[in-house]
Order: sequence, then structure tokens, then C-alpha cells
Amino acid sequence: MELSNKSSKIKLIVSGIIPFLFLIILMVYIFGPGSELLDLGVPLPEITMERIDFINSEIQVTVRNTGPIPVEIAMADINDRIQPAAVEPDRYLQRYETALVRIPFEWNESEPYRVGITIGDGVRFEKEVEAAAFALEPTFDLMIFFAIIGTYVGIIPVMIGLLWLPFIKRISKQKYHFFLALTAGLLLFLGIDSVEEALEVSKESLADSFNGVLLIATVLMTSFLGLYFLGEKLVNRAKSSRITKPVAIALMISIGIGLHNFGEGLAIGAAVGLGSIAFSTFLIVGFALHNTTEGIAIASPMSREKRVIGKLAVMGMIAGAPAIFGAWVGGFVYSPFTSVVFLSIGAGAIFQVIITILKWIREEGDKNLSSGAVASGFVVGMIIMYLTSILI
Amino acid sequence: MTIMIKSRSRLVMIFLIPIVTIVSLFMVFSEEIGAQQEEKTFVTNSGVIVTTTGEVLDPLYASATVEFDPMEYLRDFNYGRISQLDDGTTLREFTIIANDDKIMEVSPGIFYNVWTFNGTVPGPTIRATEGDIVRIKFINNGEKEHTMHFHGIHPAEMDGVFEPVGGNGGQFVYEFEAGPAGVHPYHCHVMPLEEHIVRGLYGVFIVDPKEERPPADEMVMVLNGLDTDFDTENNFYAANTIPFYYQRNPIQINADELIRVYVVNMVEFDPINNLHLHGNLYKYYPTGTDLVPSFYTDMITLSQTERGIMEFEYKYTGKYLFHAHKVEFSEKGWVGIFMVNENKDNKESEEYGT
Repeated sequence: MELSNKSSKIKLIVSGIIPFLFLIILMVYIFGPGSELLDLGVPLPEITMERIDFINSEIQVTVRNTGPIPVEIAMADINDRIQPAAVEPDRYLQRYETALVRIPFEWNESEPYRVGITIGDGVRFEKEVEAAAFALEPTFDLMIFFAIIGTYVGIIPVMIGLLWLPFIKRISKQKYHFFLALTAGLLLFLGIDSVEEALEVSKESLADSFNGVLLIATVLMTSFLGLYFLGEKLVNRAKSSRITKPVAIALMISIGIGLHNFGEGLAIGAAVGLGSIAFSTFLIVGFALHNTTEGIAIASPMSREKRVIGKLAVMGMIAGAPAIFGAWVGGFVYSPFTSVVFLSIGAGAIFQVIITILKWIREEGDKNLSSGAVASGFVVGMIIMYLTSILI
Repeated sequence: MTIMIKSRSRLVMIFLIPIVTIVSLFMVFSEEIGAQQEEKTFVTNSGVIVTTTGEVLDPLYASATVEFDPMEYLRDFNYGRISQLDDGTTLREFTIIANDDKIMEVSPGIFYNVWTFNGTVPGPTIRATEGDIVRIKFINNGEKEHTMHFHGIHPAEMDGVFEPVGGNGGQFVYEFEAGPAGVHPYHCHVMPLEEHIVRGLYGVFIVDPKEERPPADEMVMVLNGLDTDFDTENNFYAANTIPFYYQRNPIQINADELIRVYVVNMVEFDPINNLHLHGNLYKYYPTGTDLVPSFYTDMITLSQTERGIMEFEYKYTGKYLFHAHKVEFSEKGWVGIFMVNENKDNKESEEYGT
């Protein structure tokens, strides 16, 4: 009995491996040495300038080989004028390898610059910086500065939004549903906003070879399904433990919003880092107003609970504090790839929360999502978000 | 309880093992990692010395040797195989071979497909005296059709326009009387014309007047550009093809000696080019057709294929720049230095004294 069990296990493993073997043989046949089958067409080299930092009398460019073949960096220029430069660690870049090109240049603050890199076959790549500004050094002062901004943008507005709780508590079931739907509307807007932002970053700064749109789709779906799975577990466990279902839902909402606010922090940190200071004050004011509505989103499901102040404070922190971390990451270690990933995770989290809320409204109120209160709440939520977003 | 502890310690192990491995790798190979940190230095355009642990990207200071030697081209005049015709006229015979498959390192690390006459850009400087018969055996070893079109006076069928010479060994003989005296360009005249010129199919044709010009240190400068990324904008500019070459390798001349420069502008895409000489002025003979200079200046403006002869003498020794005062061009390579040395025989200055 045991023997046959063993042999059947081996059979199972072998049957799983055989297709892989054929796949390997196919790959060796097509790409292996001596194969001329696919020896057609000319692969075009490509590089991407992922970061441009302005430091004392020097412009530093982080270059990544994002093409299908190795490249050799041959020359650097500023505003289309050739400059002597250095490349570290060396000029030869394999696929996806990066190098730092250091171009000594007496640049002027807040002026635009076009940075060019020419590779071995004479092709020149260019990236424009709208306004030169000193690269942010991760000093303690700056960390505090970003923490304060993160607090203004993330924590305080969310806390203010939570103050609507007593108001929501006193209203009828119909109106309560209106506010829950309003929350879903707010979140849908935020989700779309995150996706749009991710698409924009990937279009502007991410190389084509990263397949920006598909990266966003993959990360978004992974985040959505992962949180959906965890959320169901949490809500199911709520039935058997001390935390109630509304609390579980509010917690999920605050986690989703927290991930979203991390993305907002990234945007603010990056804007400060890229030197568009005026733009970032606008961002800060806009996000602060905008995020007040996120407080309502957390407060709504909690309104039927008792003794909630402590829990609300914790959830406010979960939702708001990531803005601080986002600002640190965006300001000090910005990379377009991580930005796109974080924004997509945030979007996936938000869509998951929307599903959770809608499900809850449906269970709470008579298995119905088409009531006037729900429909109008949803629409009003989106309109509020749209109007506050104009400020950003 | 014990199971919990076991699984936790396993978790710790999973994290610990890679960390220990990486740290120990760094310990073992620290010498190799350290060895790469060798420092190099280079000088910026504003004279600042910068050190780097990597490689230097510098069209000016990199030690790469270029295939084409602009210093040799500068004073290289081809007078052809000389013989006398029955009526006593001088016959000058040349062989010019066109090619379009050469990949040349035009600037350190940058490789570009140049089209060439006799393997170089510009092609050889062809020189004859007014009235000589010039006979050029033209062989096209390229893939595409090419011709040689001379500026000057010649019969229509010698104009190199309507008689394209086929590639892979096509031949044609251009024959005409050299004239008028002056400096003229020659270039391929096959469509698309801009491409055939920009890729390097051009050169200089000097016709000396029957009565020789005064002796001088003579040189040829073809002002040209290279569009290495094919966007109809030049990536490099130069005097004699290689950007920054004469800045790295100054042209050695003597004080109080007559210098004669045959200048031909072959830059495409940009409507004008110009030439500014430092610390001096020159007599300028447009197209070189007149023996009396038209200007005494330090700045001339040249349109496409516009050319002329510059004559000057330096009074003081030292380094003098010459460059396009369309400074974009000079920052992309069209800049050089005359190194004026003391005149050892001092012949000329003595003459001036007496």
C-alpha cells in the first residue's frame, strides 16, 4: 500500500515536470547557441533616466538600461551642450543595470534643465527638469518637517472628519445608509484618483519595459484580492470575538485609506523633492481638505457602536499616519517604480473597502442597494470629492 | 508550547542564514570590492578638477585614439599623378573610391556609420593649378549609388548629377579643366542629397592661381557636423570631423609666419556657421577667387558650402582659440587652439625690421 502510494506520488511529480522539460528544450532551441531562427530585426537600445539630483555644482543622473541589449554610456550634456562627466561604477550597462552619471555643472536654482545622455551608437536620450532644486538630504530637521506635513495632511484632517460621528449617530437608518453610501462614493473617487496618479507616474518616469499599465493592474488586483481575503477573515472572526462587525469594517476602511494616504505622502514628498514647492503647498492644503472626508468614511460604520473614542483614535492613526511615511519615502528615496507600486496597492485596498461597505449596506438594509438614500449618497460622495479635488 | 518555540526559531533561522551569508561574502571579497574604488580625475569646462571612482566621460580628455587623424588631414594636399599632355597642359589623375559601410569612432565611445571618399571624412583634398586637366577615376564600392559633383566650371556631363554611379564597383571618369582659381567643395549629388552629404561624402578642391600665392603655412578646415541619431539635428560639430580634436591637440604654428587656411563650410541642418579667431584678425578672400581680400576681420559667417581663404600672422606667442561664435557649435566640438610658437629662423621679422 505504502509502496504504491509512493510510486503514484513520483508519477504525479514527473507528470508535473515533463511539460517544463519540453519548455526548456524549446527555449534552448530558439535562443541557444547556434540558433539562427530568431536572428532577424535590429534590437534598439534604450535607457531611462530615473532620477536627476541637483547637488553642489553637480547634476547627478541615475540611468537604467531598460532596452533589450547591453548599452555603453558615451557622453553627457546639459541643455544640449556637451559636458565632461563621470559614470559610476562603469559605462557598460547590462539589461536593467543602473549607473550614476555625475555631470559637474554650475546650475542655477529654479531654472529648467534638459539632461542628455548619449550612448555608444550615437543616440541621445533626454529628460527635462522643470525647476532645479537642491536634492533633499535626509537630515533630522527635514524628517521632522515631513512628519509635520504628514500630520497636517493625514492625521489631523482624518481626526476632524471623525468629529462628525455624534451627528451621524443621531440620524435615522435611511440617513445612515445615505452616509455609508457617501463613504463608498468618496472611496471610489479616491481609488480612481490613485489609479490615475499611478498611470501618470508610469507614463512620465517609468520605462516602457516595465509595462506600467500591466504593473498597475497586477499590483492592484493582488492588493484587492489579498485584502479581500484578509478582510473576510477579519469580519468572520468578528462574529466570534469581542470586536463587532462594524468595527471590523471600519478597521478595513482605515487600513485602505492608510495605504491611500501613503500614496498622497509620496506625492507630497516627491513634489518637495523635485523643487515644485508652490505646487506642494497647494497639494498640502488640498489633501488636508480632501482627507477630512476620509474621517467620515471611518466614522460612518462606527456610529452604531458604543464607547468608540479609543478605537476611533487608533483608526485615525492607521488611516492618517502613513502620510508621514509616504512623505519620507517620496522625499528621500523616490523611485518611480516604488511609487507606482504603492499607488496601485492603495487603489486595490480602496476598491476592496468599497466592496465591503456595499456588502454591509446590503445586509443591513433589506438586501437592497437601489434605495434613494444609497444612490444619492454615492453620487454626493463623488461630487464632494470632485469639488475638493479641484483645490489640489 | 514547544511547537511554537520550534517554529519561531525556524523563522529566525530563515532570516539569519541569508544575512550571515551576505555579510561573510562581503568579508571574503572585501578586497575585490575595495579594489574597484580606484579614483580617477578629470577637468570640467570651468577648470574644476573632479575625482570619480568610476569612468570618465569626456570627449576632450579621454585617451581614446581616433581612427581619422585630423592633424594629418589638416596639411595633406593631393596633387595627383602628374603628366604632360601633347599641348603641354598638365594632367592630374586621381582615383577616388566611395564606400558607405564604414563604422567610425567619431568621438570617444560613439560609433557612427560614415560614408566616405577614400576612407575618410572629409575625402582627400584635391589640388590643381588653374588650367590643369583634372581626371578622376571614380569607383563606387558602396551599396548605394554615388557621384562626385564639383563646384566650379565644367561641362554639364561632368557635373555628377544626372549620371549616378551604381554601387558594388560602378565606375565613372570625371575630366575637366581646373577653374576658376579658389577653394571649392566637391560632394556626392545623389538623392536624398542631404543624407549623402551629411554622412560624409564631401571634400575640398583647391585651384591655385597660375601665379602662385605667396608661400605660407597652409591648411584646410572643413567645418562639418554629425547627426548621430538621425533626427535632422547635429549632435556634434567640428573643424575636420572629430569634435574638440584641435582643442586637445593644438595646431602648432609659428609667430610672424603667414598662415593660410582654406575654409569650407559643409554643415547641414543649421543655416549658418561661423569662424572667430582669437587675438588676431585675418584677411578674408570669399571663395578665394579674387587676389584682393574683401575683409579684414576676426569673424566670418558661412552658409552651406560657402567657403574662402583666411590669411593671418600672429605677433605674439601662446595659445589662441578659434571656434564658431555660434557658441552652441563650439560647445558641441567646433573649437580648436592655435599654439603660436616662437619663430626660430626669425626670417620674416628681420625683413620687417629692415
